[in-house]
Amino acid sequence: MTVAAWGSAPAEAHGPIGVPLVDLLDRVLATGVVVSGDLVIAIAEVPLVRLSLHALLSSVNERVAAPWTDSGPL
Amino acid sequence: MTMIQDTALTYVFAVCRPSGERTAAALGGLAGVGPPAPVRTLAMGPLTAVVQDVPAADYAEEALRQRLSDRAELERCARAHHEVITAAMAAAPTVPLPLATLYRGDERTREALRAREDSLLTALDRITGRVEWGVKVYALAGQPATPASAPGAAAATGRAYLEQIRSRRRGREERQGAALRAAERVDTVVRGLAVAARRLRLHGAEVTGPRRTHVLNAAYLMDRGRERQLRAALASLGRDEEAVEIELSGPWAPYSFADGGTPP
Repeated sequence: MTVAAWGSAPAEAHGPIGVPLVDLLDRVLATGVVVSGDLVIAIAEVPLVRLSLHALLSSVNERVAAPWTDSGPL
Repeated sequence: MTMIQDTALTYVFAVCRPSGERTAAALGGLAGVGPPAPVRTLAMGPLTAVVQDVPAADYAEEALRQRLSDRAELERCARAHHEVITAAMAAAPTVPLPLATLYRGDERTREALRAREDSLLTALDRITGRVEWGVKVYALAGQPATPASAPGAAAATGRAYLEQIRSRRRGREERQGAALRAAERVDTVVRGLAVAARRLRLHGAEVTGPRRTHVLNAAYLMDRGRERQLRAALASLGRDEEAVEIELSGPWAPYSFADGGTPP
């Protein structure tokens, strides 16, 4: 219903300000890496993604609700 | 241990096509992830890496774990990484590397990247003149199907009560199914404009909040000139698909297509 976007600047622009952190983490912590570094590989067994998302989620939103629940009275 | 801590590591942000001085100029003044060392280019034949020297102590396993577990520090690192990649991308075709890709010095960097030279060159071919767009679709939490029915009266008997529960569950399943189908339609339309597509992980309720459920998180590699068409297509989908919310983000450096991507 809604189409929201922050990228109104042209593609050449130096990146929009206020890129949502969660979208950024989806990308900078991407799996499917073509190049492995010397060191990160050592902690790759504890996925960086999980580690970092834990940090993100622990502060982004304290409310945890199951999806698809109805809120109306029965 | 001591030896490692005293050594500088080479942090690699991205790999670009050589652009003469353009990339170096675009990087001038950026702090990168670990000032005071400058963000610089490292030439390696047909490729140029964008790198920065960082203290090994900051990136030892435990140190890195601690830093990336701290939200403010994680955000600082991610944004610094992104800033450098965005600047490089403005100067030359750029394949971004993941956060904290580190080598033990420039020679190791050259060696490792040279081993992947063919696939990096292929990726550069694929992403030249293209950018990544992110499209997310959320299902909106539904209203009870019959809000007018008075709960007390309707649930007068056990049978009526069970029927209400069943009907509620059916409603939920129908909404979920409808949202998933809407997400597939959105994906199909956007793929039609893209040269490659990739699904990213869905966000849980901790991120989306309780009022909506994430049903599609996708990245699309698209020619730069497609932006207007993409926005028009999403606006049209947004009008047609009433059960979902669509979010567009971008243009991104082609993070999700560092391997060049597979055709949609």
